[in-house]
Formats: sequence, structure tokens, C-alpha cells
Amino acid sequence: MHKGTIHNRDKFLGNIADKLGRERKTNVSRPDWEHQPQWAVYQDHTRDELCALFHKNSEEKGTHVLETTMDQLEQTIVYVMETYGGAPMVATDDERFKAFGLNAVMATNDVHIWDAGSGSASIEQAKQANIGFLFSDASLAESGTITQFNGRNIARSVSLLPTTYAAIVPKSTIVPRMTQATATIHKHVDDGEDISPYINFITGPSNSADIEMNMVVGVHGPVKAVHIVVLDA
Amino acid sequence: MKISLFVTCLGELFYQEAAKDMVEVLERLGCEIDFPRGQICCGQPAYNSGYRKDAQKAAKQMISAFESSDYIVTPSGSCAGMFKEYPGLFREDAVWQERAQKVADNTYEFTQFIVNVLGIEDLGAVYHAKATYHTSCHMMRLLKETESPFKLLHNVEGLELLPLENNYDCCGFGGTFAVKMVPISEQMVDEKVRHVEETGADVLITADGGCLMNIKGRIDREGKPITVKHIAQILNSR
Amino acid sequence: MAMKIGEKPFFDRVDDALDDTFMRQSMANAQDGLRGKKIAATEGDEAIGDWENWRSAGEEIRRHTLENLDYYLEQLSENVAKRGGNVFFAETAEEANDYIQQVVKAKNAKNATKAKSMVTEEIGLNEALSEVGCQVHETDLAEYILQAEEDDRPSHIVVPSLHKNKSQIRDTLTEKAGYTGTDQPEELTAFARSQLRDVFMNADIGITGCNFGVAESGSVSLVTNEGNANMVTSYPETQISVMGMERLVPTWEDLDVMVNLLSRSAVGQKITTYVTNVTPDVGPESVDGPKDFHLVIVDGGRSKALGTEFQSALHCIRCAACVNVCPVYRHIGGHAYGSIYQGPIGAVLSPILGGYEEYGELPYASSLCAACTEACPVKIPLHEQLIRHREIYVEENYAEKSEKAAMTAFGIGASTPSLFKIATKGAPTFAKPFVHDGSISNGPGPMKLWTKIREFPAPGNENFRKWFQEHKKGDSRNA
Repeated sequence: MHKGTIHNRDKFLGNIADKLGRERKTNVSRPDWEHQPQWAVYQDHTRDELCALFHKNSEEKGTHVLETTMDQLEQTIVYVMETYGGAPMVATDDERFKAFGLNAVMATNDVHIWDAGSGSASIEQAKQANIGFLFSDASLAESGTITQFNGRNIARSVSLLPTTYAAIVPKSTIVPRMTQATATIHKHVDDGEDISPYINFITGPSNSADIEMNMVVGVHGPVKAVHIVVLDA
Repeated sequence: MKISLFVTCLGELFYQEAAKDMVEVLERLGCEIDFPRGQICCGQPAYNSGYRKDAQKAAKQMISAFESSDYIVTPSGSCAGMFKEYPGLFREDAVWQERAQKVADNTYEFTQFIVNVLGIEDLGAVYHAKATYHTSCHMMRLLKETESPFKLLHNVEGLELLPLENNYDCCGFGGTFAVKMVPISEQMVDEKVRHVEETGADVLITADGGCLMNIKGRIDREGKPITVKHIAQILNSR
Repeated sequence: MAMKIGEKPFFDRVDDALDDTFMRQSMANAQDGLRGKKIAATEGDEAIGDWENWRSAGEEIRRHTLENLDYYLEQLSENVAKRGGNVFFAETAEEANDYIQQVVKAKNAKNATKAKSMVTEEIGLNEALSEVGCQVHETDLAEYILQAEEDDRPSHIVVPSLHKNKSQIRDTLTEKAGYTGTDQPEELTAFARSQLRDVFMNADIGITGCNFGVAESGSVSLVTNEGNANMVTSYPETQISVMGMERLVPTWEDLDVMVNLLSRSAVGQKITTYVTNVTPDVGPESVDGPKDFHLVIVDGGRSKALGTEFQSALHCIRCAACVNVCPVYRHIGGHAYGSIYQGPIGAVLSPILGGYEEYGELPYASSLCAACTEACPVKIPLHEQLIRHREIYVEENYAEKSEKAAMTAFGIGASTPSLFKIATKGAPTFAKPFVHDGSISNGPGPMKLWTKIREFPAPGNENFRKWFQEHKKGDSRNA
């Protein structure tokens, strides 16, 4: 990857240092914060309790939640397909579909698997789709939020463009809140790893209250949201 | 217990009945009251308008008057709040800042003193009326005193205390704001008066001279049949 | 258009606002509606523990970041560039616009989509791009509505169209965009969705603001509900994000705290529907992301606050919690402030960014009730900063001479007991000609402003000090 350009930095930062009444700083270590209330939230909750919270908080935001087992997952997916309009449908190019035994059901139902090589054709398919299937990478109990570490294959368009997004939420991905998800990302950065270029926390269907503070669901993103919780752990 | 009365300029000039009631209530509770003669005005009008030096003059006068007092008690949450601002007013002057801190630490609003220092909640007062209470902003947010007035009022025999909608909104006084921003202040006080009317109360009670002057001034101008009282007047009724 | 709204003087703007019944009702409804939701999501939410602790956490992070701003901005820019993004540091709005114009011209871009951003309003980016033949399409529903109205401006930093009602919105869209439906919010929203879908897909440039830059990874975090920021950052070939220079956090862990404070304080949500974090990953391989990325970091006068009592005003995370509790904003709405930054934070920021000549009256548009300070999730002492602005306004001789004279007299009177004694003694006599039925309806001099709308109390006839002395004597006699 080529390095990008940086313009006018020294003068700009020099002015900041001047105004702060000191020399430019070249090394700062972030202190151990005195106040860290985030870690205490739901810290004593068991995974079952977190799962129940995730369920409740997803529904609170208008998301349809289905709980299922590994054995029943395929049937649940078929049910979601039938309920939310069926084909055309898309899914991310994610190895977990295979690991969760879903390749067959995807193929029989003509789900278009995201193909980065086909470029804008895949975007077009996502745009036409009734449903976009994807996996949640981290699922936040506090708010009923799914997280996607998007990339070339796990495409953002799948959760954004179809009328409904249907996220498969392995119970093992449920954590108390954003704190745990961002801590993981922070660790990756600290370890010098590349992070996903598009980390997306998504909580239900898109919405707006801009007209007289009336909540309207379905603005530029999906109109409906489904969280399929799989009891894998 | 020995206490010093900080009567406030509004109390001294306009609300003498409330000031007297306060004296009588505190004496009945066994307080020995003195009146430091050097007291004038806390300086808030100048401070809030950006006249720091003029505010410092007023503050020095008040600090000199009150620095030997153990307890300074005042019938105004806002003026008590101003005393609490004094250390900040002298942040460039360590000597005065120290003196200011002592005064600030010893200052209490009237109801706050009774409930939190004397530990008394029932004054044996009797007042037959339907009333509502206006929480003043400075008492609530600068002094962080929200409960004492209610504790005392709930124990007043015959007093039916009605909840006031949007009680947390300012009445539009704000010191010089009331004369600098008349059209805005007017809308604020009108909304306050409307909420008071909606409670159906005959009496509006408050613990701050500024709010009282503003709300009463508007109620009287509009000819509304609502009486406005300082809380000391209610607590001294029997 | 930039930061300033309207040309009229302050009190004319206030008069216009006070005459706008719908707008005022709408502000009051919004405040009353949001209040319960915000409380339920903050001090009322037991699950998150003590809200004060969260506020302290937010303040701590913001303070540290601002104290080391040069360091974290360097880190941020280095990380953006490392991933192929370009960074431009702009000291002024003009520098920022020039740079963005150059980028746009080089691509020969004709259409840009934009997600809601206050800083791009502040620098007047839409006009700058229109000058070089690139049309900017606002995509946030509220901004879309204001843009359709042509020269309408934001009246609230979170809900810019708060001053418009649904039938006004319907009329605007009917007239300007060929809408044929009713004034139902659902229908109006569906229309905007259908109108903007293709605009999103076909734009050459996507423009966003930046809720938080994350220094450790060179990421831009965007906090939205509508999904428009996602559209804007996914389909155009070029992404340009504009950030106020103070809007960053050191790490992802800090981002977590700030997003929580922002979502809960702004609209009472545990989290907004989308928290979208873009870290440049540019190049020909990118499919549904930009192939070219620019981050423009704007000073625009912010550095004037550094090292002063106003430094903590830069801790602001634009949640509008202070606006939503301000009793002055409640009555005059946003446009009366004459700045895109309204309410208490607007009255603090506008004079810093735009000077006292233009915005010096705003700090006086507050009763100093301190509701703002109490609401601020990062503990900015807003009402104290308003007082500090007034002090500078006075020091720099903007205040009226008559007021200055009156305050000098006050200072003397309030520090000279003998004078005060004369005044209290003389007050009843002096006031007597004006007193009717126990109060003054038409006062002389400065009292006139008071009695314009209210009665002024008549000074009591008794001398309180004398009463107190006699009362004490009475006590000792009884004892």
C-alpha cells in the first residue's frame, strides 16, 4: 500500500503546542484512567443472562429475534427467507456459513454469495435483494447490537442495501457491551495488526426522528432487521 | 448555636417580613443570631454581568463582614451560591482566596441549615392553603440543595403542596438578564406563571428573593390571583 | 453561508423567533419529549452504574486528549497516511475549502453526497464546491429538507430541521422535489429514501464529518441512525471526511466511553443505530468502499481556546444535551442565535470561533441557570464560561458605557457601608412618587426595563437593621 500525503502538519501542530504553552510533544502515554465505569456493566452476568439481555434489547429496537440451535439453524433460515420475501437474496462471503452447515440451504434458495471479483455487479445484487445474510462478529447485550468487521469479502453492502438484514448471532459472540468489542480492537492495534477498514456496530433497522420527532423506521438502510441467535455455546 | 444572619440586599430592602420570619424561626430553634453590620450585597449583579473587579469589591466587603462567623445563614439560595463562588473570584490572590474559602465553607441557605445542620424537619408550622413550590436554579444546581425545602414544607400542617410542571426550568430572572433580555425573560416568566396557574395553587412558595421578585412582579402585573411567599413566611406561620 | 445565520441584529432575530408560534411549540415539545428519554438512559439507567462516574470518565479522556492534542493529531495523521489516506491540516475555513476544491476538480467530480456534519456547515463547504461545479446532496433527512428549502439553515445541532413542521416539509418537497403525498412522516421519509437511493450510488464524492477520530488506528468514527453515513462512505470513489481538530480520542477503548456518552446524552439511546468506523483501505481492489480517502482537519479558530479558560469548551462532543435543557433556547429556538452553534455551547463557542464583534451578545442570552452545566456529559462548566465571556466583553470595551458606570457605582456602593445605609434609608422616600398599591409599575431610569413587563416591589418602610436591634433588646429583656 502506498503511503498517503500529509499537508501543513508541522505549522498546524506547532501552533497548537504554542497555544498550550509548551514544546511539541513526541511521546505521550495514555494514563490509567481514574474513572472506568464501563467495565462494571453486566460483569457478573452469565452468558445465558447476556443472551437474554441481547434478545430483549434487540426487540426493543424493533428487531425480530429468533433463537435456535445448531441443529435447527437451517430450518430457521428457511423460515426467515419465507417470512421476509425470499429471493433475491445475498450473503457475505464468510467461511462461517460452511462451518455452521449453511452452504446447502444458501445454494438451494439461490442466495447470491458476495463476489468481490465481480465488483459493482455484486453491489447491484445487494441493492435488489430482499434479505442480506451475515454473521455478527461481536454482539452487544446492552443494546442488542451486532458488529461487523467488514472487508472485501464480508461486504458492508450485505447489511446495508437489502430491505431486511438477517444477522446470525452465535451465542458465543455475545458480550456485555461495546467495551469488550473495542478492547479487542484496541489489542489488535496494540499488537501491530491491521484492523478491518470498516467496523460497523448496527442496532436494528435504520431510522430517523427528524420530522417533528416522530420515529420512522427504514430510512437509507434496511427497513427490517432479524437477529438469529444460535445457541452454539 | 451562634449564627450570623446574611439578610441579602433584596431581603433588607424589599422582603423584610420574610427576613423577620427567618429570624424568629431560627431563634425558636435555639440559635443565637448576630447581624454583621458591614454586610451589603454579595456582588452577584456585577459578577454575572462580567464586572469582576466591581464584584470583588463587594465580595471583599462581605468577606470582612462574615469571616469570623461560624455559621452564615441566608434566606436566598442564589446569594448563598454567590458566597460559594468567592474563592474562584480571587483565584489570582491567595490571601483573599483563603479568606473567601472560609466564608464559603460556613455558608448555608436557610432551609439547608435547618435540615442539614440542625437536623430538624418539623417546625410545627401551620398554614392552610393549596400551594406549589418554585425550585430556584442556583439553590438546585450551585448549592445542590433540592430536598430541604420540601422536607420542611411537607411537615406544615394544612399545607397541600402541589407538583409544579417543568419545575426545573428557570423563571427568567437571572439577575441583569431580566432587564437586558426583557423579551426572552418575559416568555420564561410567563411560562412559569402558566405552570403555576395550572397547578390550581393559591400560593406560590420560593426560597429565593430574585425569583420571588420576578415571578411576583409578573403575577401582579397580570393581575393573577396568586399570592407569592418566601418560604420563611410559611415556616413561621402557626 | 458558513457559521453565521442571517443578517439581522440580535434582538430582531429574537423578535422573529418569538413570533414563530409553531417553532416555539416544537422546541418546547422536543425538550419535554427528550427529557424523560435522556434521564432514563443516563442517571435513570441502573445497569450502567453511576452516571456521574461516566461523566467523569468522559471529562478525563477529553481533558487528556486536549492537553496532548498535537501528539494525538500527529498519531492520527500518521496512521491515516500509513493506510494510504491523505491528510490536510487546515488552519482556516478557506484553506480547508481550497484543498477540497482541488481534490474535487482533479477528479472532475460533479456530484457529492454528504452525511450530516456541523463542521462542513461551519466552513461553508457546499457553496465552495458549487463554485467548482460540484453539487453537494445533503442526505441526512433533516439536512435534505433544509436543502430543498434552499436557504434554510440548521436550528439544532442534532436535529437541524427542528423548527419545521410536517406540513411545511410536505409543501417544500411538493414545490421543489415533485412530491405528491401527504404530510405523514412515514410517507415523507419514504420519499426521501427513494429520491436519494440513486444519488448515493452515483455520487463521485462522499463527504462526512467526524464524530471521533481514533488516533491509535487512524480511524474516523461516525455516529448516525439513518444509515446515510454508511451509504456516503461506501459507494463514491472518493471519501472526504472533515473533522474539527479537537474531535478525536486516543484509542478504541476511549471511543467506547465517548460513544456511550454521546448516544445517551443526545437522544437517550443506549447506542445509535449505526456506529460506523472507517479506517482507510484504499486502492483499486476496494469494492464497496472508497478508492481514495482524504481527512481534512480544521482549526477554524479553535486553537484560540487552547491554554485559556475556554479550553474545556473544546471537550464538547456535540450532543446538544445543553441545548435540550436550555430555557432560553426553549423560547427563541436556534436561528435567533445567528450561528450554526446554538444554545449554551453555541453561546460559548461562537464568540471563540467568530469573535465578539459578531457573537458578543450571545453569552448574555442566558439566565445562568446552570441547567447546561448540569447536563453536559463531559462536564464543561458552560455557565461559568458564559460569565467569563461577559468579563472579556467588558474588558475589551464592548459593553455599554452606561452599564459600566452603573456597575462602577454598584462596586462603590457595595463596599461602602455608610453609602448603603443612606441608600436603604432613602429608598422608600425616593421611591414614593412611583409607588402605587404597594408596588412600582412604571419605574424611573434603569428600573424602566424591569417595569416594562413586571411590577417592581416598593422598598419596605421599616429599617430592618433597626428592627433587628430592637428585637434583640426585646430578647434580652425577656431573658
